[in-house]
Amino acid sequence: MSLQAASSPTRPWLTGMSEAIPLLGGYVPVAISFGLIATQAGFSAWEAVAISTLIYAGASQFLFVGMVAAGAPLWLVVAMTLLINLRHVVYAPNLAPWLSASRLWPWLMHGLTDQIFALAHARLPQLPAAQRLGWYTGAALLAWLSWIGGTALGALAGGELVARWALMGEILPFALPALFLVLVAPRFTSRRWSLALGLTIVSALLLTTLGLTNVAVPLAAACGALCFQLVRFGHARKSEHTQGEHHE
Amino acid sequence: MSSALWTAVLASALGTLLIRLLPLLWMQRRLQRQGGDGLEAMPQWLSLLGPLMIAALFGVSLMPVAPGASSWFATAIGVLATLAVWWRKRTLGWPVAAGVAAYGVVVMLLGTATL
Repeated sequence: MSLQAASSPTRPWLTGMSEAIPLLGGYVPVAISFGLIATQAGFSAWEAVAISTLIYAGASQFLFVGMVAAGAPLWLVVAMTLLINLRHVVYAPNLAPWLSASRLWPWLMHGLTDQIFALAHARLPQLPAAQRLGWYTGAALLAWLSWIGGTALGALAGGELVARWALMGEILPFALPALFLVLVAPRFTSRRWSLALGLTIVSALLLTTLGLTNVAVPLAAACGALCFQLVRFGHARKSEHTQGEHHE
Repeated sequence: MSSALWTAVLASALGTLLIRLLPLLWMQRRLQRQGGDGLEAMPQWLSLLGPLMIAALFGVSLMPVAPGASSWFATAIGVLATLAVWWRKRTLGWPVAAGVAAYGVVVMLLGTATL
């Protein structure tokens, strides 16, 4: 599970799965909540599972069932769902330089969630080209299956689980910030990057506390990018632009 | 679900897949056209946004499930524990496990103290 390891002697898909395990702490409790809320909103258990399987995008799924339950027009439900997911547009191009030649990659983009992107952005450059497809498939598959399984569990027994394991539902989701922190920490490579990343983190947190969770990620990243472009310390080198990519 | 609702689910699923997929096809074509080093072929704004999006996801995820003084304190301790273990080990799994454990211990201790 080393962030610095260039390759792994084990099967790449198994390595991908093992490195995606920390995601489960965040995925499963949220998926259980989604299954519970979907059934409370009038969806059957298998309909909730179908939504998780097909749409597979956390925040937008909550919005989807909430708007349907409130009787919103379906075209608006679809439009809002897609609007929330629009931030994903920058994920795949950032991974493209490290994707090996395979016709499977476009289909595997179904599994490109926020968390898988963050993990893959850190790990794919460190893996030999031959291992990348297997690694990504293992990581994305485990995350997808945990999301589907969590939804089924929430839809079938969510009320009882939440009542019995309330504290675990509060503690386990901390795995997500801890994972993002480990993925972002090596990118504090210069004062310029540190300032841009720090501003992005603080503005994302502020926007979230103000209830603007859905726009917090793209807005905060835009703030950080603006800061990076405007602020220069001394004679900043052009290569600094890609320092965050190389973990220098 | 009615057929109209199924159509909405399928439209949302297809739209989400296209949002994730089409930029990949665009970038792969750009890389093929320009050849050479992939990072050099990537637009600067795009290579900048990658790490910043991860930082933004970190910021958003810091919001506790049940916000309050104790959960914010637990978040701070969890972050420090994660950073400390990452600094020593430079691995992925141990810092996450340490962060969750530290966060959980603080939540449980403060929860017990306020009972």
